[in-house]
Order: sequence, then C-alpha cells, then structure tokens
Amino acid sequence: MNEEMEPFERRLSRQPLRQIPAGWRAEILAVAVRESRVENREQANLRPSTLASRLSTILWPHPKAWAGLAAVWVLIFCVDFSMRDKSPVVAEKAAPPSPEVVAELMQQQRMLAELIGARDTSDADRSKLWTPQPRSERVEILMA
Amino acid sequence: MKMPAGLDIERLYDEHAQPLFAFLLNFTRDEADTRDLLQEIFVKLAREPKLLSGVRDERAFLIRLAHNAAIDLIRRRAARDRTKENFAAETVSPFAPARDPDEIYFRDELAAALAELPAEQRAVLHLKLWEELTFGEIAAALDIPPNTAASRYRYGIDKLRDRLRPLHEETRKAE
Repeated sequence: MNEEMEPFERRLSRQPLRQIPAGWRAEILAVAVRESRVENREQANLRPSTLASRLSTILWPHPKAWAGLAAVWVLIFCVDFSMRDKSPVVAEKAAPPSPEVVAELMQQQRMLAELIGARDTSDADRSKLWTPQPRSERVEILMA
Repeated sequence: MKMPAGLDIERLYDEHAQPLFAFLLNFTRDEADTRDLLQEIFVKLAREPKLLSGVRDERAFLIRLAHNAAIDLIRRRAARDRTKENFAAETVSPFAPARDPDEIYFRDELAAALAELPAEQRAVLHLKLWEELTFGEIAAALDIPPNTAASRYRYGIDKLRDRLRPLHEETRKAE
C-alpha cells in the first residue's frame, strides 16, 4: 500500500476547498441546542409518569368505557365484601340448640305424631320412630 | 451556548464543521442538502451526547456519521427521482473559486470528473487528498478494510488522471 503521492495527486490535493458559509454556524448550533433541550424535557417528562403515559396510551381510544368498566368492577368487589361480612354473623347465630329447646321440639313432634294418627302404634314403637338412629336401622323399622 | 448535558457543541462545530462540509458537498453537490446533513449531524450529537463518549478519534467518528448520512441521502434521492441519482449533472463545485482562468478551468474539470466517480471512490479520494488521512484512517472512518480503501483510491485516481491528463501536462509544461 504505497501512500506516496505523485505530482498529479499533489496538485489535486493543493486545490482549495470551498469554505463553509459563516452564517450556518449560529443557525445550526441554535437548532442543535433547541433540539437537545426538547429531548431533555421529553426524557424528564417521561421518567416519573411512564406508567401513566402507558396507561393513557392503552385507555386513549375509549376512556369513558374503560372508566365505566372499572366502576363496575369496583361495585362488584364492594358487594362481594359486604356479603362476606354478613356470613360469619349467620354462622354465629346458628349455634347448637340448648337442651330445653331440643326437649320442647321432641315434645312437639310426639304430639304431632299422636294427632296424625299413630293410635295403633305402641309406646315402645313410637319411641323407636322418633329416636335418632343410623339410617340402616331406620330401614329395618320401615320394613317391619 | 453550552449544552445541558455538558457537550461542547461549539467546539465540535469549530473543529470539524469545515471538513465535514467539504466532504458532504463533494457527495451532494448541493448546498441546501449539505446544510441539512450537517445540521442533522450536529442535532444528533446534541440529542445524544453519549455518542462521543469513549470515541478516540472524533474526526473519524464524525466522518463516518457524515458518510452514512450522505449515503442515506443518495438513497432517498434515488428513490425520489431516478434521474438525479448521478450527481454529474449537479453544478455546485466543492472547490473555492479561483481567479486564474486556467485554474478555474482545471477546478471545474476536476469537479466534473469527481462527480462522475462512484460515491465510494469519491469518499476515499476526498479523505486521502483533502483530509490527508492514511488508508488505515480512511478504512476506520468508512468502516471498510484498508486494502479496499487503497484499491478504491487507485481506481478513482486513475480515472481522474485519464480525464485530466491533458490539462495537467499542459500546466506542467507551462511551469
């Protein structure tokens, strides 16, 4: 790679090139500085509200529709939470009945059975009918 | 006119704008296009000051930016208007005006001969003859192998010599 210049090449290299117009300096630098400031401002604006800008991009086509949908979801959650709050109260109220209540219920059932017409049934059978028993034994009673 | 990010854009302009202008004008042969490209380069530098961080040779880096911008412009022009793809028809000379009639004629012929060269040969010739870069530096600036830079130069200078030989020899005899 010989980099020595011949006379012809030296002559070419001596030809002076045109000078850059002096007025360009101020104009080009002014544009460059302005663009740089715009860029910096855009970046500064982007940093804190990246999430907001992304959201607005997504929601932009129909913001009212998205807001309505969000309100519906909020309503659903509210209703759901209010329902959950009541359910433990119901459970608390459904506590096991006291022995007096049980005895009273038994008495009422017995009276009802007598009224329906279980006149032929002996006392022993009656007691069998109303005493809580496993299902298998109940089947035997029915068969008999 | 200090840049917000600390980039000294004025210094960059003062040191590099003139050679970039000459390089771009040799490509575009159009002053408005050259101004647009030059502005594009300095706006790019102003917007992205990190481009120059870690750059050893600012001039080579800026020449590469200018070269890429000029190639993009040529492609845009070609797409816009096929008839303007060849810059031989353009009349803006990259050379300073001369007073001596022989010199005026020689510079006009040289400008026309340069305009007829392919863009890649013109770029190498410009950097070798008027920026006085070595083939290694040209290769680094244009992102090509040094041998390719040397061969492009040889092809280009041979074409110029063939075209300008009569003028050159005539001038030498007169000297």
